[in-house]
Amino acid sequence: MSYLLKRALGAGCSMGRNVLNNAKSPMIQRIVTKTEQAAPQEETRPTVAKVDPLQKSQLVDFGKYVAECMPKYVQKVQLTAGNELEVLVPPEGVLPVLQFLKDHHTAQFTNLVDIAGMDVPNRQYRFEIIYNLLSLRYNSRIRVKTYTDELTPIESANDVFKAANWYEREIWDMFGVFFANHPDLRRILTDYGFEGHPFRKDFPLSGYVEVRYDDEQKRVVVEPLELAQEFRRFELSAPWEQFPNFRSNPASEEIINPGDDKTKQ
Amino acid sequence: MAAKQAIQVGTKIVKPVLSTNHAEARLRVLSLYKAWYRQIPYIVKEFDIPKSENQCREKLKELFMTNKDVTDIRVIDLLVIKGQMELQESVNMWKQKGHIMAYFKPTEEPKPKGFLSKFFNSNE
Amino acid sequence: MFQVIRRAASLPKTHLLKSAPAFSTCPVRFDNDVYNRKEAPKIDNETVLSLPEEARHNAALESTITVPAKVDLTPISGVPPEHIKSRRVRIYQPAKNAMQSGTNNINHWEMEFDNRQRWENPLMGWTSSGDPLSNMKVQFRNPEEAIEHCEKNGWCWYIDTPKIEKPMKPKSYGVNFSWNRRTRVSTK
Repeated sequence: MSYLLKRALGAGCSMGRNVLNNAKSPMIQRIVTKTEQAAPQEETRPTVAKVDPLQKSQLVDFGKYVAECMPKYVQKVQLTAGNELEVLVPPEGVLPVLQFLKDHHTAQFTNLVDIAGMDVPNRQYRFEIIYNLLSLRYNSRIRVKTYTDELTPIESANDVFKAANWYEREIWDMFGVFFANHPDLRRILTDYGFEGHPFRKDFPLSGYVEVRYDDEQKRVVVEPLELAQEFRRFELSAPWEQFPNFRSNPASEEIINPGDDKTKQ
Repeated sequence: MAAKQAIQVGTKIVKPVLSTNHAEARLRVLSLYKAWYRQIPYIVKEFDIPKSENQCREKLKELFMTNKDVTDIRVIDLLVIKGQMELQESVNMWKQKGHIMAYFKPTEEPKPKGFLSKFFNSNE
Repeated sequence: MFQVIRRAASLPKTHLLKSAPAFSTCPVRFDNDVYNRKEAPKIDNETVLSLPEEARHNAALESTITVPAKVDLTPISGVPPEHIKSRRVRIYQPAKNAMQSGTNNINHWEMEFDNRQRWENPLMGWTSSGDPLSNMKVQFRNPEEAIEHCEKNGWCWYIDTPKIEKPMKPKSYGVNFSWNRRTRVSTK
């Protein structure tokens, strides 16, 4: 008896579920078809990263504000990758601009996240020094870029950000850019007695010397490089243009260029 | 096809690294040389290298004289800066014996110069 | 209103301005404007504390020096001298792939060093090399930049100019049957 009842109940339940399902599914289907009919638009920006228009407008405004406040030093302000603000300054403007971004009440970029270097040998000033700043107060980031060559010293940012100490040592070691007034500029990554700057584009992948333990000398010796197998030269660049549809899209979006304004006026 | 040397003439105005004139740069080089020279007895003793003080002094002079033809003030300054850093590494014993001995290149065989020696080395 | 203030500032000796409280809408303070100054100007601590020698040195660093335009970086580039004096740099445009590939990767100039001696490694029969610069390749947009780079680093260079391409004649199969060409050799 109880068994039968259970079965009947179960059947009822399943029946009820079926009914519910039947009742639900056409509605959902209708809704889906409605949205499809309402928005048959084509995807025009097939990018993964979405651009937040509000954030972008704020960044543009702030970029303009920085350029207005430091007209002597800011050469150009640009947006890269949609939401990364970059301020391009000459070497003598690094300290004032960093100090401004750190101390100004509406900026408060108090964290120096990183200093990076970049080598482009075909430029007259072949190195780019890139300061990445973070403002915890306003949850935003900014990038300050400057340029130099092998012989031109850059003023050390150690007085503004204590974090710059090791980063600048790193750049001195890897690129050979001299930082003036740095409290303790010396090598940080390479071995003592190492010559050359490994991140330069004209530094060979293998380096010039090799190091081994010598049994007769009972110590480590440094010798000119000898490769048991020479590096094979692979041609890795693609012969085809990768994104012809995006040929006209520049990598960075210029916000303001005071130099241009001056020439126009 | 022929190898060329582009001729750049004239001068340009730049930011100094440390020195503003040749006399100042020369003074820096001399003081660096003196500092190394005075450090040599300590280097020989503390690193316990199998070289005499005289050999070290000769090496020091040789290393300085390799750059005797440098005229650009900024290049001289950067050389002085690098030499200063090396001196600091030796004085504070951050370097090890092998690093000091690397100046002398004890295991490197001189490259064959003449045709016959190259031939015997099966180099050419 | 700004014009008024500016006019007032241009007449610093007027009694009006002397009596007026010092206020400025400008974020920059002008040091020569004595009447608007409330207190002695601040000098940063380091300038006050520095010894006369240091002060002189800092002032010197602010100035500029004149150097010859030709820069020679060989002493500080870290390249061993044997790779500077005895090497020759070839500046060239990379060749097009002989297959039917595209040409998007050949629109630049490159520099590479002359080949040094290689030898067969007795252990495995590999090709060994003692030339660290054999694995270095730098790209430039045009030969002038490459030349300048080589000059700075003291390398002897030469330009390998590309051979001029033969202009391609458009060919057509139909030409063979043209009525006014003597291309048909059969009797018909």
